[in-house]
Amino acid sequence: MTRSILSTLALCLLSVVLLRAGLTRALVDDLLANEQKRPVTLRVWDWWSPSANEEYGQYFAEIERRFEEQNPDIDVVYQIVPFGNYVQKLSTAMVGNAPPDVFQSSVYWAEGFYQRGMLRPLNDLLEQNRHAPPELQVTEERFLPSAWRHNHGEDGTVFGIPQIIDAQCLIWNLDILQEAAQTDREIRALFAHHPDGRIDYARLRFDAVRDWDHFRRLTQKLTVRDESGQIEQAGFVINAYGGGAGMFSPWLAANGGRYQDAAGTRAHFASPEGVEAMRFMAQLYWEDGVCPPFRRQISDTELFQEGRVASMVAGTWSGKDLMRNTLGWDHFGKTAFPPGPSGSGEQKTMTWGNMLVITERCTNVDAAWRYVQFVCSLEGNLIRSQTLGYNGPRRDFYDTEQWQRAIAERPYLSNVKEICLAGDKLRHTEIIAVNHQANPVIETLLLRFPEIQAGRGPYAGIEEALRVAERNVNGVFDRYNEQVARWRQRGGSN
Amino acid sequence: MQKLLPYLYIAPAFVVTIVFSFVSMGISLWASFYHYDAFAGAAAFAGLDNYRRALFADDSYFWLSLRNTAFYVAMSVVGVLVTALPLALLCQRAERFQALFRTLYFLPSITPGVVLALVFYHLFGVWGQLLDNAWTALPALAILGIWSGAGYNMVIFLAGLTEIPRHFYEAAEIDGANRWQQFRHVTIPLLRNTLVFVSVMTIIGSFQVFTSVYIMTQGGPERSTEVIAYTIFVNAFAIAGQMGYASALAWLLFAVVFVFVFIQMRVFQSRRIYDE
Repeated sequence: MTRSILSTLALCLLSVVLLRAGLTRALVDDLLANEQKRPVTLRVWDWWSPSANEEYGQYFAEIERRFEEQNPDIDVVYQIVPFGNYVQKLSTAMVGNAPPDVFQSSVYWAEGFYQRGMLRPLNDLLEQNRHAPPELQVTEERFLPSAWRHNHGEDGTVFGIPQIIDAQCLIWNLDILQEAAQTDREIRALFAHHPDGRIDYARLRFDAVRDWDHFRRLTQKLTVRDESGQIEQAGFVINAYGGGAGMFSPWLAANGGRYQDAAGTRAHFASPEGVEAMRFMAQLYWEDGVCPPFRRQISDTELFQEGRVASMVAGTWSGKDLMRNTLGWDHFGKTAFPPGPSGSGEQKTMTWGNMLVITERCTNVDAAWRYVQFVCSLEGNLIRSQTLGYNGPRRDFYDTEQWQRAIAERPYLSNVKEICLAGDKLRHTEIIAVNHQANPVIETLLLRFPEIQAGRGPYAGIEEALRVAERNVNGVFDRYNEQVARWRQRGGSN
Repeated sequence: MQKLLPYLYIAPAFVVTIVFSFVSMGISLWASFYHYDAFAGAAAFAGLDNYRRALFADDSYFWLSLRNTAFYVAMSVVGVLVTALPLALLCQRAERFQALFRTLYFLPSITPGVVLALVFYHLFGVWGQLLDNAWTALPALAILGIWSGAGYNMVIFLAGLTEIPRHFYEAAEIDGANRWQQFRHVTIPLLRNTLVFVSVMTIIGSFQVFTSVYIMTQGGPERSTEVIAYTIFVNAFAIAGQMGYASALAWLLFAVVFVFVFIQMRVFQSRRIYDE
């Protein structure tokens, strides 16, 4: 008897769980709402997950509300797909003939998607858009030049409209800097000034760090050791396991080098500039001793948030995450990367603009395009700024009162536009495959630099290691371009 | 009709197996001879190019990942045997709470691999940063594999031990054999079929290790944990147009596992020991 009651209870519980799991939000809304059905359903994919950050939920709700207000015939349905599984899921959706109408594409994949013929060219739609009011126009001249780089092919075919602009940057803990500035004139000189001449301890000058020697000196000054010589507070942080490879690109750019050519046919990082950049990174850790020990399980961001490092490499987007993780702490500042000995003398970084794209198989292009225009319009940019704290890729965004207010409230945003403009184009050809070839080599160089310098490592030197990585990356490019040629032969690409 | 009935009973499972195992395998074999892309479909016939590239190209990580996988398999097989069998022996001797011990040891086997990998990721960070070093990362992953597999294999061994007739031990005792001699000359030979089964299954499972690598190390540091299943995954799903190459790698893995298992089965041919 007891057993049968328990079995029935278990069955009921299981049914409830399965039923709840099977009811999507859209279905629940449909069941509960009295709203009239809209004739057009627009499926939109994104990786900004409300489960990772509730602000994304607020953002999508606001976009959906305002867009549907302006377009009563369209019902927007969002599907959140994790970044790491995006390509696999999209692949499955394409093969299963159920792709989204619109999706946010990272620059990691956009070029590849276009070359496979998956994305709808937008040139005809952009031509019509020229006649729209300025704040609704999404043509090239409306965007910062560094945002309009990854969204078109060499032949001028546009396949995406930038919805954000991101750049890698150096982030500085201003609590640490301000304290050091009390006794050190060189560190004091990093800060901007108020109009009345007082030091503004909430803002850094964009060109605060002059060059690599200056950076090394600063990080040495900001490194504090205990009596036993252990680092209590580090000047800078490098995570050799994966993350270190990521910062190679901006340091390389700052030293006048390039990772790859524009056409994606050749890698260029095994150049004298690349060797210099790699040596500089390794020296910061091994010779200057300004970094905490390499630890896989502890991220740069965690160390920074705990106030254990004075500076780290992150993205221009990361301010809101830092604030969220530290319950509101915003006393940090951002700069681009100082020029290296072979650099142009200007601050540099890598910039990119992730974009909204329309799939080739989208059945309602008009609705999709209306959505893209709205999200990439000035209004869309302002909603992202308001809900997510992001700066925008549009030129007119920076003229708005809202942006000025955002800078006043969160001074860490003050250099963001200049940083984005200072960036070279982020490498864009088969990034994951390239990472698979090059990153382990950079990891080895960082982890075993002293051995390699002494001629006992797995490579004869930095030059040889980078040459091996470059040769393998060129293999990736060769195979990829052969593949693109085959797609073109089959009429896949446009 | 009566004769057809058994076939009808097995038909659903048969159809599922055919469609989701053999047809899929057939497609992957076919794809391995093409420059195949999941988005765009097959592009051009590649012949043996994908296999040639895997085996001979400068930038191929097939041999490196096979070597890493082989080390992992060796550590796992030895580790599982030296933990699961003693656990089974101890459990068999436990007069009370045997079911409780069995359940406790079995728990890791039913815990999702991702959860275990995340827990051990942080544990290994605390215990001497095992994942940070190219020499210790692979053994650390093997420790996780052994820990999560020991309970399951213990249950298999326990079933094998209970099948050994009691009178063999009684005879050995009368002949004056001590515990070790009983284990060496009675338990081990009579457990032979179970040992073969456990080691074959562990070898097959270990050759396919993926979750822990994907979650904990992504093949690093310095490619020291890049195992073949991970290499296949990266090529299949993360790199454009490499599904054919990944399929070729998968079939090479199949060939290696097949050879291993075939040799093992020949060497330790299963037989009815008690009749000898």
